[in-house]
Amino acid sequence: MIDVFSYVPAIVLLPFFSFLVALGAGKYLPKGGAFGGIAATAGSFLLSLWVLATVAGGQAANRTIYTWASAGGIGPTDVELTFGILVDPLSALMLVIVTLVALLVHVFSLGYMNDEGETGLPRYYAGLGLFTASMLGFVVADNLLMAFMFFELVGLCSYLLIGFHFREPGPPSAAKKAFLVTRFGDYFFLIGVVAVLATFGTAQFAGPESFPALAEAGEVAWTPGGLAVDTWFTIVGLLVLGGVVGKSAQFPLHTWLPDAMEGPTPVSALIHAATMVAAGVYLVARMYGFYALSPTALAVIAFIGGFTALFAATMGVVKDELKQVLAYSTISQYGYMMLALGAGGYVAAVFHLTTHAFFKALLFLGAGSVIIAMHHNEDMWDMGGLKSKLPVTYYTFLAGSLALAGIFPFAGFWSKDEILYEALVHAPGEPLLFGGYLMGLLAVPVTAFYTFRMVFLTFHGEPRSATARDPEPVRWNVKGPLTVLGSLAVVTGVINMVPVQKVLGIEGIDVLHRWLDNEWGGIEGLSSHHYADLGPYSSEYLVGGEVGTVLVGAAVSLGLALAGLGLAWRLYGVPSPTEHTAKLGGIKDVLYNNYYLDELQVWLAYRTEDVAGVANVFDQGIIDGVVNGVSSVSLFGGNRIRRLQSGVVSQYTALLTLGLVALVLVLGVTGGWFL
Amino acid sequence: MILEALIAVAFVSALVVLLAPNEWAGKLAFALSLIPFAGSLYLWSAFDGSGNALTGGDIAFRTQVEWLEVGGRSVSWFVGLDGISLPLVVLTTFLVPLAIVSAWTPIDSRQSQFYGLMLFMQANLLGVFTALDFFLWFIFWEAVLVPMYFLIGIWGGPRRKYAAIKFFVYTNAASLLMFIGFMSLVFALGDSVSSFALPEITQAIAAGDLSAWFGIAPERMALLAFLAMFLGFAVKVPIVPVHTWLPDAHVEAPTPVSVLLAGVLLKMGTYALLRFNFTMLPNQASALAIPIAAIAVISVIYGAMLALAQKDLKRIVAYSSVSSMGYVILGLVVFTEYGVGGATFQMVAHGLISGLMFMAVGVVYNATHTRMVGDMAGMADRMPITVGILVAGAFGYMGLPLMAGFAGEFFIFVGSLSAPALPYAPVFTALAMFGIVIVAGYLLSAMQSTLFGPFHLETDYEVGPAPFHDVAPLAVLLVAIIVLGVAPDIFFEMIRDAAVPVVEGVTLDG
Amino acid sequence: MTAVAASIPPSWYLLLAATVFCIGLLGVLTRRSALYFLMSVELMMNAANINFVAFALYYGDLTGQVFALFVIALAAAEVAIGIGIILVLYRNFGVTDVTVPTEMRW
Repeated sequence: MIDVFSYVPAIVLLPFFSFLVALGAGKYLPKGGAFGGIAATAGSFLLSLWVLATVAGGQAANRTIYTWASAGGIGPTDVELTFGILVDPLSALMLVIVTLVALLVHVFSLGYMNDEGETGLPRYYAGLGLFTASMLGFVVADNLLMAFMFFELVGLCSYLLIGFHFREPGPPSAAKKAFLVTRFGDYFFLIGVVAVLATFGTAQFAGPESFPALAEAGEVAWTPGGLAVDTWFTIVGLLVLGGVVGKSAQFPLHTWLPDAMEGPTPVSALIHAATMVAAGVYLVARMYGFYALSPTALAVIAFIGGFTALFAATMGVVKDELKQVLAYSTISQYGYMMLALGAGGYVAAVFHLTTHAFFKALLFLGAGSVIIAMHHNEDMWDMGGLKSKLPVTYYTFLAGSLALAGIFPFAGFWSKDEILYEALVHAPGEPLLFGGYLMGLLAVPVTAFYTFRMVFLTFHGEPRSATARDPEPVRWNVKGPLTVLGSLAVVTGVINMVPVQKVLGIEGIDVLHRWLDNEWGGIEGLSSHHYADLGPYSSEYLVGGEVGTVLVGAAVSLGLALAGLGLAWRLYGVPSPTEHTAKLGGIKDVLYNNYYLDELQVWLAYRTEDVAGVANVFDQGIIDGVVNGVSSVSLFGGNRIRRLQSGVVSQYTALLTLGLVALVLVLGVTGGWFL
Repeated sequence: MILEALIAVAFVSALVVLLAPNEWAGKLAFALSLIPFAGSLYLWSAFDGSGNALTGGDIAFRTQVEWLEVGGRSVSWFVGLDGISLPLVVLTTFLVPLAIVSAWTPIDSRQSQFYGLMLFMQANLLGVFTALDFFLWFIFWEAVLVPMYFLIGIWGGPRRKYAAIKFFVYTNAASLLMFIGFMSLVFALGDSVSSFALPEITQAIAAGDLSAWFGIAPERMALLAFLAMFLGFAVKVPIVPVHTWLPDAHVEAPTPVSVLLAGVLLKMGTYALLRFNFTMLPNQASALAIPIAAIAVISVIYGAMLALAQKDLKRIVAYSSVSSMGYVILGLVVFTEYGVGGATFQMVAHGLISGLMFMAVGVVYNATHTRMVGDMAGMADRMPITVGILVAGAFGYMGLPLMAGFAGEFFIFVGSLSAPALPYAPVFTALAMFGIVIVAGYLLSAMQSTLFGPFHLETDYEVGPAPFHDVAPLAVLLVAIIVLGVAPDIFFEMIRDAAVPVVEGVTLDG
Repeated sequence: MTAVAASIPPSWYLLLAATVFCIGLLGVLTRRSALYFLMSVELMMNAANINFVAFALYYGDLTGQVFALFVIALAAAEVAIGIGIILVLYRNFGVTDVTVPTEMRW
């Protein structure tokens, strides 16, 4: 019997090798090393499918592969810092998602980068390879430290890829912002990692000696200053959450993400659908057993999530550029996932993570296709009428948009509905959670509105520019990935038909629920049931019991989505749409300027620089001034005192005599030596 | 005898290179500097020491020969290695050949003297890291300053004389203070020690043999000696507020000299702090834990803030060295295995990373003849490989995982957050960690404005890629940084072994 | 003779020595000519000699007298060197005034 889990490191290493190959030999290879990347991600994808099948066959793995370092800490045993793999239903699912999206992005890049004659392709494919490898390493990580390491590498890759067009002024700036803002979050995450190691002596995710298990049992080696264990867990959880907020672009660290649109569009697809942004949410899901112990942390997660969902959606309403709309939709959608996690909807969050990965990758690649067609003009007001010119792009994009807007029966409907349902039934008695739910619900029509505003402006009506009348055609390498993702965006909902099961009573169609509940096997302590038992929530149904609540919830969210869609159709589904945002008055400016949060952060950065300037003046003036002052005083004093050396012998004699007299006098008065 | 051979080879090579003609002095110096490197690799492979050399561990490659007698105490040629000094010896012998290669382009006058002095400095540096007798150690310690003074003063930038004198006087005055501190300790030990051998002195202090001297009680004596030595070494490290010689020295020094200054010379200060202050007088260190940790945190944050305000690339890296050294001090003062071990590891890691940064900035400077942030832009367009390595090095500086800097910093953080020896340890640790955000801020900003964007540089010549012999040392260093980041245990295991006795030396109440 | 000398209390000798010394010191401080310098220094040395001899008498120990002999020999040598210096001084500056040549200053 072949042990498939011993090949798991290969899933990570294959894209890493493609990175090395592209970096070292990319310029000698056809297509700048693209085929190496495609082959590597395809290999990883197949291996991941194999792993998924094996996990479905009831196996799982939690292995330490490599000891990075080891030394004594608090407590009798050494604190070992290790690398390992943790393959359970969650990570196996994520492996498949990441490798699939990465593969499609690689293929799409042939059309978007190679066919468009971009330079620096080896660097591009090297970056993609490293990005994929880092994310895969993060997904299979068996402990928090390893997760942190790959989390940071993901950040590095985002920097490299967002700043790919380094010869222009915008991308390097956006890349810097992305890395810095996420670094700010990672600062808290790093404290969290160190705190976990100090508190538990281990950072393992799974097993009886893992930190969630130890936390559940209340076995801690250390808490700071005699803090109560529960309070400390909440603090640690929130510290780790800092990294999540940064990478998953939650309020208030979301500002890097819209700027990150400066990167090539396939990279945006990769970042938003499957790698960097997904990493944050995945991390919370990965250590959910720890978060479930802290009601406060969960409530905070839910509230941040709900708030971000609404907040980002409102900004998406007024944007003019195709990718900007998608960027804000990403922030908003990850807000939903956070809301789900905070509401105890572990499965709902993973479900939305899955469906979102497909439909958001689809939308970005679709946008990439439009951008190729439009000769890299992203302004939606220059588009229009592309529906007939780009049919494949249009229909797949439409499928993605319907999923994003949450229209029955597309994938996004099922997952978003479940999130809102989980939040609703757990909300009573939890004000923060209820607030999150309300904001999540409010975001539904807004999402549908901006999504279809985008669709109508881009594809419907009359062409509004010369390029839109005669767009550049796209090739198979663009259409292929779109078709695959388009189908997935339509059908992925079937993996978790919980509402249907509850309403119609058909057993067994909640596959994802049972999958994450270790029904096919998994690792003890990492099941959704276990998390539900740990968590603080109990379900309360509003009307008509469970079935009634399901139906009402679904009806409300679908109705709101349709209302938003309808409004978009009214306003923008006309042959020559005009800007209606002016009706919003001053609010439009606020929205268009992202609530001035970017300005605030820039202001903060400048103030920091001012402080640094003051510090510099202080350092050069006072501290170094003292040093130079000592030398000046010495030089000056020496310059004066040396004048005693007049060269006149009589004066020397006089001084000698005076000195003698003084000495005699002093000795006479004090009656002896000083000592 | 291998250590003597190593040091002797370095001295002889210095002499040979000094007499060689200028044309091929550089290549000769490189070839000769490979001998100590090969020797140190042999030392590494044959290393059989265990424990800490000062607290009675097994000293590897030990030689102890009576030399002369001073004041009733014998001075001996006493050298040897333990897990703390070996990595630093390897670091020194590894950096010197690379620094020599990086000097081929910028040094265009009096080459034989330049390379001779570099090798002379190497010999003394090796002496500092291997000597276990105070007098011997002090001779090497002081002798390092001499070549450094000339290297900055002759081949430096426009303000080289100012920088060289400032460096020499500042560090030399500090050495005096340290010398007084140590000597008073020796006198307070009285007849209980018969030599200046550091292990004997350390063990005598640990055994409580300090007695009153000159009417000063032993505890007070130890505290005063600790302060004098701490201040003396602090200048060398350097720690805020005695750091101001460093940016001046770095800015004026030629690239290869900066590499050795940041890469090895600063580590002399932290190495001596670890050996003298924290190993010999652990309880005094522990009693002063809060002020020392406060200074460490201030060094980290203040150094980083200063780096943020600089416009000269070399000044940026110089101030960030101050910041990084703050982590080392924090790691030492917490007295945990991860803390002290991480601090030692960070010495090596920072030696490699700052060496890489200075070297890369130097290669850019060779092409641009300016280091000012506003004077150039888009250098990535013209020198892609150099810039690529510079970016990688900068991320190493920011503590990117799987590079050496992250390992060192992370060990220190793990050791310090829950350290029982340091009150308010979590607060100090969390504050110090904020350095990783600021370092990202200034390095990314500097890179954005110099390396990226549209190419801009006012020159009357074409700027092209750097020659192979400029880039090769950068690549070698980068590989070393990554190897050390992926497998820190190649050093950390032996460091830990030598750090444990240091940690056990401190007595904690309760 | 010895009895007479011994009958005088030592303080008188010391007073005499101090007086001679002060005369010499005054000469050194006030005179400008190098030759007067030399003579004044001779006086100061002899003042010291008086002390040596007086204490030797007082303690009945010959060491002081031996020292006085050494000082006399030293003084002779000093005069030889001193006059040599004065000759060089005169040759270079044309004067024997010690305040004129101030080359050896800062």
